[in-house]
This record gives sequence, structure tokens and C-alpha cells, in this order.
Amino acid sequence: MKHLKPVNNKAHTLTQAVVDDQVEEVVAMQSIAGCTATTDPGWEIDAFGGVTSLCQPMESDLYGCADPCWWPAQVPDMMNTYPDWNEQATNSAENWRNLGTVFPADKD
Amino acid sequence: MKNFKLPRLTGGLLLAGVILPVSAVQAADAEAIIQTKCMACHTQEQAEPLEMSRMSHQRKTPEGWLMTIARMQVMHGLDVSDEERRTLVKYFADKQGLAPEETAGARYALERRLNTMESFESANFEQMCARCHSGARVELQRRPAEEWKHLVNFHLGQWPSLEYQAQARDRDWMGLAFKQMVPELASNFPLQSASWDNWQKVTKVPVSGSWSFSAQMPVKGDARGVMTITGGKGDQYQVSIDGEYADGSALKGSGTAIVYTGYEWRANLTVDGVKMRQVFALSADGAELTGRMFETIHDEAGMDFAAVRSGSSPTLLSVQPEFIRAGSTQVLTLVGTGLGKQISLGDGVSVVSEIYRDDNKVVVQATANNKAQLGPRNVDAGKATGATLNVYNNVDRINVVPSFAVARVGGNGGSTPKYNAYFQAEAWMNGADGQPDTADDMRIGYVPAKWHVEPFNEQAAVDRDVHFTGRMDEKTGVFTTAGAGPNPERRMSTNNAGNLKVIADVMDGDKALSAEGQMIVTVQRWNNPPLP
Repeated sequence: MKHLKPVNNKAHTLTQAVVDDQVEEVVAMQSIAGCTATTDPGWEIDAFGGVTSLCQPMESDLYGCADPCWWPAQVPDMMNTYPDWNEQATNSAENWRNLGTVFPADKD
Repeated sequence: MKNFKLPRLTGGLLLAGVILPVSAVQAADAEAIIQTKCMACHTQEQAEPLEMSRMSHQRKTPEGWLMTIARMQVMHGLDVSDEERRTLVKYFADKQGLAPEETAGARYALERRLNTMESFESANFEQMCARCHSGARVELQRRPAEEWKHLVNFHLGQWPSLEYQAQARDRDWMGLAFKQMVPELASNFPLQSASWDNWQKVTKVPVSGSWSFSAQMPVKGDARGVMTITGGKGDQYQVSIDGEYADGSALKGSGTAIVYTGYEWRANLTVDGVKMRQVFALSADGAELTGRMFETIHDEAGMDFAAVRSGSSPTLLSVQPEFIRAGSTQVLTLVGTGLGKQISLGDGVSVVSEIYRDDNKVVVQATANNKAQLGPRNVDAGKATGATLNVYNNVDRINVVPSFAVARVGGNGGSTPKYNAYFQAEAWMNGADGQPDTADDMRIGYVPAKWHVEPFNEQAAVDRDVHFTGRMDEKTGVFTTAGAGPNPERRMSTNNAGNLKVIADVMDGDKALSAEGQMIVTVQRWNNPPLP
């Protein structure tokens, strides 16, 4: 981190957390069944165990992460498994309601 | 002519399966589907009994098989009807399922207890497998090394970015996966096991009959009643429940059920107008069913459930409520089967009068004297045992259960329902040493509380998380989350996510007690298979 200089609040928070050794502590507590512990970036929880460092709103960068299957157990990955997931929602901020759940449940 | 034709017709029906056991017919149906639908990718390794590449070398739960077949539909274009899929799940779960003890410790995933905090001895397992999905999803599978190796290859091919995420880019991921994880998984979760060999030899017990049940849930507290199960052909059943909550309101519903692997009970019911699902395990002697009943859409809403078959050995499932204060008199309901006349509540606690009795419960007025020994004690109703009653004199502290919860925004026109949060306040005594969280602490039970939420930290206060994330019901402890989607009223139009303290305030006589938990309200998940 010594070659990177924080320029906004989020970066300052991250720098401080690294100094305080907070990050490792938080990783250990994020083991709720079915939530991802991948927090760079996180889906449910950020690297500090909160939500303020998640993408805000998550719709603003959803496909940037769903495309390279960052959290495929929670968000359909569009690289391989669900390439057409956002067909009806190319503008995620406007059309997020068109994003469907993907598990093929019984129809009857 | 009629006389001649009839036997021929009967003969035809016989060949079609009338004299064959139902299970054999189901297996034949399933194998016909496999040979029609799966051969494009899988190869037949043996005709009799049928063995196929990959699929014959794994064992899973019904939910595990359902997810595998669903994955074939999504990723490989498998075209099966819902009915064919059900036939396949039944076939595989019966033929290559898990023995009851092989699911122990991971049933929370089957039972949809999604606020379970997972913890594993193997740090590698936690970081390599449970980093993306629950560890239980893996623990509920059995494979030989070769099949675990295929699974690693599949993950890497399907989700290639997993190698450059944190806890992957910092290590030789491939080397670790193949050289350590594959042997570890093959050793901990092997295809062949004595448990499974033994379970296959066990004579399976039909579930039909009358069952006495006891349940406990947030909001409503204790419940009890009778579950009636009929049918059984092809392991298919009809089920109805007729019971009551502690407040006297009715708990009624009915539906259909199926038993997989000889013990995995799965039922779909409509209970008081709400669709619910039961995930229970039948005990090896066929006498008890235990698990969870939950709302199908909102599976966060559910109850712990235990039932005992009427006519089996006398059993006491629960005492409701499960505690009594020394020096007080109150009504207790004993739930079970074969409840004898002689009720023993242990030294210092006695029955004043018996108020009601039927085959499944006894309601008594009980009194505990001031000197009754504090803590849990066994209760007997004749020969029926198995439940305890906690005697207390003072509530020393309260725990919020769960102490850490994840809820999710939902609805608002989107495809994912809200995932709300349910809290209960659990009362404890500190024991002789007067110190909390030591070995002599004694649990009392769930008590009513007044609920509210507060910002978890300064940032949550600044972002007004309490205002935006949802509403806590002061009386019930149910937190209903806010709608999904960007919220233009929030900074950067962010979602209604937040970080909250969950506070329970309890009055024990004149003494005010308070406890705190944490709740993360986060965003929805669109990939929500039966095993998290």
C-alpha cells in the first residue's frame, strides 16, 4: 500500500483498516451459510464487515462483476452459465426489475 | 370372446408393472429417461445393473441431485419435464443417497437455516470451498478422488476468475486444489462408506400413521398438535396437521409428501393459507421425525419441528413453556405420546392439578417452591421421558438469537422476495459463579421482548440505515426489509442496505435487561438453489 495514495473517503477507510489489522478479523466472521466470503469487492458484506464499501448502488456496477463471475453462487455469471441473464435489463439501474432468479424450479 | 380377452388384458397389465414393486417401476422409468436423455454426453459403462459415466460415481441428498439435474438443464441443455426430473431425483436419492449419519452436522442447509454461522476445522476447506457457497453443499456429497478432481476442473472452467480473487491469487490455487483438497475431500467424503453400506441393508419403515408433534418458532412461540400421514405407495404420502400455538390459535394445513432414501421426508403443505415445506429426517427406528417446517417463498420464516409416532415407545417431546420460576405457579403443557398418569416434574416442582389430557398432550397446573433446585431437570409422564424443564429464580441476562443475522432487500417489482429477519430473546442465568459465558450458565428459554434497531456504527448513523433498511416490529422481533433497487433518496442512490444493532429489552419483574445483536441488511441474491 505504500506506493498507493488514498484520494477519496473509501480509500482512506481501506488504508486505515489495513493499518488497524481489521481486514483479517472481518474475513473470519463472514461465514454465514450461503454468503460469499469473497469481499474484493464483496456481495453481501464488504471487506470491513459492513455494507458501506459495497458498490453503491450495486446496480451501477452489477454487470462489471456478474460478467466475470465474481460471486457466481449468488449472482448469475454471464461469462459462461447465464449469458442472456441481462437481455431484458441492459441498463441495470433502470431495468433491474427484469433480472430473473435462475434456479429452474418446478413449474407445477 | 370376453372370457378369452380378459386374462390377456390382465397379463398385459402385469407386464406393465402391476406385480412389480413400485420402486422397481420407478427405477425402470428413471433408467429409461437416463438412456433417452443423458446419452448425448454420458457413456454407459455397464448395462445390468445400469452404470453411467460420472452420475454412477457420486452420492448426494435429494436437494443435491435436484441441483445437479438443474445444472444439466441450465448448462448443457438437458430437456426434461418436471415429472421426469422428479423421477430422476427420486431414483438417484434412493440409489445413491447419503446415510442419515452422513448428513449430520450439515442438515441446517437442507432445512434452510441460512443464518447458520459455518465453521470448519480445515482452513483450506473454508477458503477453497466455503468461500463462495456454503460448506454444507460440499459436505452433503460423496465422491471418489477422481470425481472430486472433475469437480475442481469444472469449477475452474466454468468460473475462471476464481483463481484471481482474494484467497486464491495469494496461493498456488491449482496445486492446492489438486494436491491437497482432492485427497482431503476424498478422504472426508468418500463414495464408499460403511454408513451407506449399512443403511442400504436397513429395512425402511413406512411413515403412515398418526404423529404427535411439538414445534417452536419466533413470533408465535411454542406449538403442538397431531400430524396425520396416509398413503405410502411409491413413498408418496398425504399429510395433514391439526394443532395449536401456545396462544390457542389454530395451526392447520395439508399437502403431499415424499420420502427419499428411506428417511428424507419432504412435504409441501398449505398451512393457514400459506405454502410451507417440511424437511424432516425419519429416525432409524421409524419413531421420530425431526427438522424444520418453513414458508416456501420466505424460508426465513419457519419452526423447529419434532414429531413422535403414536403407538411407539412412550416419549415426551417437550414441556411448553420449557421453564418455570421458583416460587411460582403456572400452566405447563407436556407434549408427546404414551404420556402416563404419573407426572414427575422433579424435586420441588409439583402438579397442582391436571387440567386436560388426550393422547398427545397433558396440561397441568404446576407449582415450583422457592427452594427448588435451579437449572434443567428431567420430566417424566409415566414411562414417557425425553424432555426437560428449566427452573430459574432470576433472569441474569438476555441473548439475541441469532446474534448475527443477514437479511436481504427484495420485492419492489423485482423477481426476488424480501429475506426478512426473525429474532428471539433467550433468557439465561449466570449460575453459581455469577459470571456470564461460563460453564455453569443455565439457559432458561425464549421470553417476550420489546425490539428496536439502532445504527451499528457512525457510518450507519450518517447513512440513516435505520430509516432506509426496513422496519422492526416492536412486539414480534420480525424485521421486514425495505424494497430492492437503487434508492434515489439515499447517497449515490444506493440500495436499502445497512448495518444495524438489534436490541431486545426484557423486563424480569422490575428488572430491566437489554441485549444486542447485529444485522446486516444486504442486497438480493438471484441464484438461490435449494442448498445455499
